[in-house]
Amino acid sequence: MKKKVGLIFLAVIMVVALVGFSETITLKLWTAPNPNQNLFWKTLLPQWAKTHPNIKIKWSQIPAAGSSEEAILTAIASNRQPDICTNIFSGFAAELINSKAIVPLDSFPGFKDLLKKRDMVNVIKGWESGGHYYVLPIYVNPMLVWWRSDILAKYGFKEPPRTYSQIYALAKKVVIPHKRYAYQAVTGVNWWDRWFDFITDYYAASAGKPYIYPEKQVAVFNNKYGKEVANFIYTMFKNHYTAVDLGNLPFYTGGVVGKVNGPWSIPYAQKQFPNILKNDTVVTPPPVPDNYPKDKPIYTFADTKGMIIFETSKHKDAAWEFMKWVYSNPEHDVLWIKLTQMPPAREDLLANKLFDPYLKDPIFAAYAKYVPYAIPTALSAKTVSIQQAMTNKLIEPLMYLKTTPEKALDDAVAAVNNILFQ
Amino acid sequence: MKNSVRSLGKVENIKGWLLSGPYWIFAAIFFAYPFVWLVMLALSKWNFISPRKTVWLDNLVKIFQDPMFWTITWNTTRFMLYFIPMVLSLSIILAMAFSKAKHFQAFFAMSFLLANVSSGVAYSIIFTQLFSVNGPANNFLYNHFGVFIPWFSSPSWAMFSIAIMVTWKFMGYYALIFLAGLQAIPKELYEAAEIDGATKWTQFWKITLPLLNSSIVMVMVLAITLAFGIFTEPYMITGGGPLNSTQTFLMVIYTDAFLKYQPGYAAMLSIIAAGMSFGLIILTRKLIERKVEFS
Repeated sequence: MKKKVGLIFLAVIMVVALVGFSETITLKLWTAPNPNQNLFWKTLLPQWAKTHPNIKIKWSQIPAAGSSEEAILTAIASNRQPDICTNIFSGFAAELINSKAIVPLDSFPGFKDLLKKRDMVNVIKGWESGGHYYVLPIYVNPMLVWWRSDILAKYGFKEPPRTYSQIYALAKKVVIPHKRYAYQAVTGVNWWDRWFDFITDYYAASAGKPYIYPEKQVAVFNNKYGKEVANFIYTMFKNHYTAVDLGNLPFYTGGVVGKVNGPWSIPYAQKQFPNILKNDTVVTPPPVPDNYPKDKPIYTFADTKGMIIFETSKHKDAAWEFMKWVYSNPEHDVLWIKLTQMPPAREDLLANKLFDPYLKDPIFAAYAKYVPYAIPTALSAKTVSIQQAMTNKLIEPLMYLKTTPEKALDDAVAAVNNILFQ
Repeated sequence: MKNSVRSLGKVENIKGWLLSGPYWIFAAIFFAYPFVWLVMLALSKWNFISPRKTVWLDNLVKIFQDPMFWTITWNTTRFMLYFIPMVLSLSIILAMAFSKAKHFQAFFAMSFLLANVSSGVAYSIIFTQLFSVNGPANNFLYNHFGVFIPWFSSPSWAMFSIAIMVTWKFMGYYALIFLAGLQAIPKELYEAAEIDGATKWTQFWKITLPLLNSSIVMVMVLAITLAFGIFTEPYMITGGGPLNSTQTFLMVIYTDAFLKYQPGYAAMLSIIAAGMSFGLIILTRKLIERKVEFS
């Protein structure tokens, strides 16, 4: 009898253990609300489901809101945040890190192996915070300048300009007031536009030096590099080589000969202006001061976004397992390029043969080439305030010639330091 | 007898509660709860993630010390100074034109109302294209008069251009309100005035305008509320620039809450904006509202 009871007890334990071990985990994944990226996840997730039946991914794009940050913050406030989320830019990541809302990814086993496998040891450095890495960068969009080669050729320029003086020389020939300008020196007056003008130009002029010292959180862009850039912008506006309003689609209409663009412009141009993209566009790094060494690589700003795991996730290890699976296989990055045309955050894009078919496109190849030289924005939770101050104290006074470049720089640095100090 | 009256009263009472109950529940969920939460938020420092900390009136003090508060107050005032006279006069003219139409009056009125129901984002994009430096408006001006107008890129023009857009959107809607007001004015008054030798101009100033008082007050109240709530047009077109000349209360509230992670500060600013608009509405009513009798 005792034996029977013992056997039944053992059987019950085995059944419970079996049920327990085979329990299916469900992870909530939110990704960027972008049709091309949606297609990527739609293609990839069934492959995961096949090989990982015990970890189900409940995928959706970040809910509709004014911005991804707004949707994520309201989800956190109401405790509805997912386990894993993409589309995180560094400023938002800094806020999440300060609030201990996300997990340091370097605390998981295999983190370093993943960096090596994806060849992103250097790329990830810009995301370091307090000696830890909380975000896995997914893609890196270096900001590069698109030039209208047909207009350059028409005026006898065989090569696009490289330095500020070369842009001034071009402007003297091509500018027709209210019709055509040489170069879009300022992208706009929204806070994010600073990524695509001053910060891009600053990284180019300084060979990638920080505009805010990360350790001390002090703004330093009123140095010699910042002065070069501010002088350039001021000269462009003062001499009417550029204008505040360049009209609709100035690059494609020929309203401007050169302008900073991200790789996200490629699919748009392919659809809307295929001939201009194919025949009349050359891509270069951002302009540099005249004394910038010719043999030195030119750095630029990286529009980069990454993936995080929320601290509230009950299945952090499973989430890490998923993250590792997605980014340790280069085939997944091939699929990413195919569907989004944005360079994945890896340094071997030019060296790895898998990516060769995509490098035949000279414009994508240019973006891939500059991934190692693309630096993300300063890691600060006050990114919006900082860049608003840059707009109000530096860019707008230069655009409207309200003050000298030196004074504008000093005012902007003082305003930014005031924000950082608060 | 007394008992039956009492029980009838009870039944009526229950009926009353039953009928108004859904509204009370709705109001409690969608008005009272968010309002209480808004006040709590306004007295707190919070970033959506870390625990909320009560700071009482710190946010209020910070707002009055913030130069941006004074900038947006001045911008809203400027917007009202452009928008209210423009929309009032144009919608009255439009309503008078509608009232003269013998056929298809409703069709014309509805056609102008289309602007009001169209998407703010869509028409903001269209206006950006229309008024850009190489857009049709500037091409016309340059070809005929040799001038370019920096509609959205000049600090002195940008808010005026936005006021023009918003006027276009609301003109048809306000004209409908005025049309209803015009139709309520007895024809006999005009006939009597004509017999007395009053010109059309005198009739407009002495009869039409005074008797439209309630419609004017209503449109003024709507326009003031709108001025404090303007967001889509400056957000889509100018981003608050140039030189902060088109920053508005809602833009700052949105940016502070969701981009600078300061929902407490934004909540306090929204309470101040609401208070200012209510105050202005009360003042407007006191100044221009008149008791109008048609007899």
